[in-house]
Amino acid sequence: MKRQQMYFRMISASLLRRRSRMLVALLAVTIGATILSGLVTIYYDVPRQMGAQFRSYGANMIFTAAADSDGLTTDQVERASALIDAEDLVGLAPYRYESVRINERPVIAAGTDMAGAQSTSPYWFVTGEWPSGDGEALIGKAVSNTYRLGPGDTLTAQYVPEHAADAEEVEPIERTFKVTGVLDTGGSEEEYLFISLADMAALTGVDDRLDVAELSVSGGQPKLEEYAEAIAAGVPEVTPRLVKRVTQSENTVLKKLQALVLLVTVIVLLLTMICVSTTMMAVVSERRKEIGLRKALGASDNSIIMEFMGEGLLLGGIGGLLGSGLGFAFAQMVSRNVFNSSITFQPLLLPATIVVSILVTGLACLSPVRSATDVDPALVLKGE
Amino acid sequence: MFFRMIKGAFVRQWKKMLMIALTIALGASLATAMLNVMMDVEDKVNQELKTYGANITVSPKNASILQDLYDVEGQAEAAYLKESELGKIKTIFWANNIVDFAPFLETDVALNGEAGVKLVGTWFNHHLSLPTGEELDAGVTSLRSWWDIAEGEWLDEQAHEDDAVMVGAAIAARLGLHAGDTVTLTGGSGERTARVAGVFDAGGDEDDAVYAPLHMAQALADAEGLIGSIEVSALTTPDNELAIKAAQDPGSLSISQYELWYCTAYVSSICYQIMEAIPDCVASAVRQVADSEGEILEKTKLLMVLITVLSLIGSALGITNLVTASVMERSQEMGLMKAVGAHSRSISGLVLTEIIITAIVGGAIGYGAGFGFAQVIGHSVFGSAIEMKLMVVPIVAVLVILVSLAGSVPAIRSLLKLDPAEVLHGH
Repeated sequence: MKRQQMYFRMISASLLRRRSRMLVALLAVTIGATILSGLVTIYYDVPRQMGAQFRSYGANMIFTAAADSDGLTTDQVERASALIDAEDLVGLAPYRYESVRINERPVIAAGTDMAGAQSTSPYWFVTGEWPSGDGEALIGKAVSNTYRLGPGDTLTAQYVPEHAADAEEVEPIERTFKVTGVLDTGGSEEEYLFISLADMAALTGVDDRLDVAELSVSGGQPKLEEYAEAIAAGVPEVTPRLVKRVTQSENTVLKKLQALVLLVTVIVLLLTMICVSTTMMAVVSERRKEIGLRKALGASDNSIIMEFMGEGLLLGGIGGLLGSGLGFAFAQMVSRNVFNSSITFQPLLLPATIVVSILVTGLACLSPVRSATDVDPALVLKGE
Repeated sequence: MFFRMIKGAFVRQWKKMLMIALTIALGASLATAMLNVMMDVEDKVNQELKTYGANITVSPKNASILQDLYDVEGQAEAAYLKESELGKIKTIFWANNIVDFAPFLETDVALNGEAGVKLVGTWFNHHLSLPTGEELDAGVTSLRSWWDIAEGEWLDEQAHEDDAVMVGAAIAARLGLHAGDTVTLTGGSGERTARVAGVFDAGGDEDDAVYAPLHMAQALADAEGLIGSIEVSALTTPDNELAIKAAQDPGSLSISQYELWYCTAYVSSICYQIMEAIPDCVASAVRQVADSEGEILEKTKLLMVLITVLSLIGSALGITNLVTASVMERSQEMGLMKAVGAHSRSISGLVLTEIIITAIVGGAIGYGAGFGFAQVIGHSVFGSAIEMKLMVVPIVAVLVILVSLAGSVPAIRSLLKLDPAEVLHGH
């Protein structure tokens, strides 16, 4: 009991008396621990955060009807999408395509859920407003150019039911829409007319029939393949397909980015840890005389090493704790600034950072203390 | 005398000096590596994002593209671009930023008697020797990098495989085609037999098409020297407000704004320049690729900037710390010098000179090592070297000198304030 008390008193007194030196050492350990915990947290979080950014490329999974049926229903799509974790599902947009006529010229009309389309295709650039209710339409740029229509204009779409060819006189169904916006994508969507699903049902007289559903799901290719398998097995009416262009490219690019962050983390950590060690060595080798004096007074090598290790442990522990906090704060700041989202705290990282800090500090102390204890105390005290 | 003392310090205390130099070298190498990587990361990631394919499409001005989904009646006369105009894409102001492009010509053919098969004529790995001396392999082999080759291989245009085609997985499954089979293609003007070089799985509409060399499609469609559209993959700068304003109407810019816009590699200014070079065409940005690209580039760059800042702060504090520690260690020596009558100024001059010399040596070694680390990152992540940025040299030099001074000056001053007797006594 007495021995231990003495041991603690010696360590704490040594830390307190040599305040400025110990502050230097503590600062070094804290910097190391901050970089360690900050970078590792970022490394763990980058795939998730970056993956979310890649969702701006739009839909990466498509539902189509099984080969023998003639279309999907809303219920089937809902049942299939329920198999995907709600937090992974970034957006879902059902589409139904029909050919309609505007001024006797054919145009493809797409019925969809506007909010869903907006979340699955964030790159759609709308001049004007997105339609907010029934009776409103979004038109592609090509359509806008052909008919000279812009936001605020109205258009009349005509639908000729399919059996019109052999029936003598089938009244075409007509509906009038208010154009709220013009869509610019640089792709084939520019030739379409977008209306709500309810309007589409009213225009065609056929309810609850979808051609495809586009989904934007966060997660890497393996996860998406898992989801696709689960859906194919669980809802046989729906055929899920991955949009290879998006999933494959995301896989390639994301892997490179991850490798980049990993390599950067490793190099920064390596250099920082060596830096911390050299500082610790400098601080400890200054105390050669003290070691010599203790040895001359009869302290055993082991007890001297134990004492220095104890100091290292304390410094490493405090530095590691401080560094974990600062590192998390840094990672949080990065995440806020870069990705506009907060980061989750990795509880395992706290003990890991402390253990690494203690190990680095301990190992760095060990070699100068060893070399000091190995030498004859008389020589050390003499200053050689 | 001054030089002899400095020389003496280095000779006698070489171990300590080596340690300081090592730490400074580590800090400097960290700063060099991170700065180099950070400055080059935008270019590198930009190259990687090219796997998403073209970000600009060029189509004829009066194209009626309604045939896409449904066969709509009353099709307008198809519009074409001239194949001979293709080379002009590589003559625009931002020609160096155009990394890949391919022409496309679509036509309907009968494949082994099955009518209504979509045939797309294009370049696969077309070799271009430009008048500027640049060599370039352009075509779908690189523009459609996400295609899985289910059977066979990519069609190799350079091996003069003129009579070969690639077949989409959906058609191959429907007609029972395999790599190595011979197929008969019947178009509006004649018949060709071709070998199936490979079957691809694109995971999209393209699986329902046959891809053939451009001249074969031209012969079958009776459209010699004509092409339907061009896809261009260009390295671009993320859009800002100026670019958005210019994209809507370049006429609305002032002259200086126009010049700035024209001379920046925005996707809109590249489109504009392509339209200037090729008559009667419309070049438009594929927003899915162009917009997302900008977003991801920006995020990656910001991420790297913040990591770099952290490592710079880390290495700066590390160096300061060590220099402080090493100056404090010499309190007795400095006390002794003071006791035998040295001026405070000459003592600090001596110590500072030693530290600056060490810092310069360490910094130079660190710069070399850091550049090496940057290359390790470049080669193992991106498979190409990180460009050497000259700007990094002064930044690292200033950082190292400033940081060493910041570490040593306060420590020297506080030590000089002490009474030499006390210092020598060991307090």
